[in-house]
Amino acid sequence: MAREVSESCVDSLLTEMVSSYCNRFYANKPELAARRIEAIGYQVGHQLSERYTMERPGFSDHLEAIKFICKDLWSELFKKQIDNLKTNRRGTFVLQDNKFRWLAHVSIDPSIDGSSNEDNSGTSTENKAAQAMSMHLYFPCGIIRGALSNLGITCAVSADISNLPACSFVVRIKG
Amino acid sequence: MQFFGGSEISPSPPAPTAAGNNAHMMYVFNRNGVCLLYREWNRPLWTLNAQQDHKLMFGLLFSLKSLTAKMDPTSAEKGNLGVPQLPGQGCSFHGFRTNTYKLSFMETPSGIKIILVTHPKTGDLRESLKYIYNLYVEYVVKNPLYTPGSPVRSDLFNTTLDQYVRGIG
Repeated sequence: MAREVSESCVDSLLTEMVSSYCNRFYANKPELAARRIEAIGYQVGHQLSERYTMERPGFSDHLEAIKFICKDLWSELFKKQIDNLKTNRRGTFVLQDNKFRWLAHVSIDPSIDGSSNEDNSGTSTENKAAQAMSMHLYFPCGIIRGALSNLGITCAVSADISNLPACSFVVRIKG
Repeated sequence: MQFFGGSEISPSPPAPTAAGNNAHMMYVFNRNGVCLLYREWNRPLWTLNAQQDHKLMFGLLFSLKSLTAKMDPTSAEKGNLGVPQLPGQGCSFHGFRTNTYKLSFMETPSGIKIILVTHPKTGDLRESLKYIYNLYVEYVVKNPLYTPGSPVRSDLFNTTLDQYVRGIG
């Protein structure tokens, strides 16, 4: 029988993890915080892919592995599949989730609306909000990277949230 | 008592009538009296400035809760008037009605107070207030960018709330 965990618990834990790394351990060093969070995701993804590929024979090519991420891994993690997969057939894949579960409750302060006093203070608060939000994406990027690396694929993963609540993960395969 | 489950918002209770916007305004306070949210849809008359208005509302409800508990004819234990009560202790006050408006109130064990002021003919809004609290938990408490105790500024919450309140009979 599948063992389950409370979603509220996981959400709170992830929020606190990002907050701890950004505000306490590596306050004022966002790049280091981002790398640590991504590394945690990498480990998690690595182990999860081991667990979820137990009964499968093997992957014939990169596309099969990416499809595993889109269908099986995403269903196990988020109870839905990736909505849209695009590729340029040269090692870059874009995985689009139209309602990314971990960002479903995030909302930026609506009082940030270009009503800045002087010297770009309006745009900088908007940037801070966008940066805070992007910190929460390093973990899922790491998960994807870790899962693929366990399947023998080295890659770089980044996220794009220009179109909330849709979220796109860009996977660039190396070599 | 189970208020909510999972991250899907449970379907809202059926609205008695769907006619325009019957709600005037809404306040959300935390246990320290900080006004976390004030939403206004239809308020023709302001008598005080915002700060005083919020303090007055919080004080009013604090006193009302205390008074209603003291006047409870069915309860045996009566402490001293004015002693602050734990949420849920004593009887639970949930609203009053005048000839021009109805005020509905709900307090959660965590001390969050939700006050909704509506048209006087509105029915019992306890289920609606529970649903609004559910929205608060989903879109505010679970928002990673929100610091507890600070005023709520969430687009998602505001839009969903406005949509829901429009449907309250």
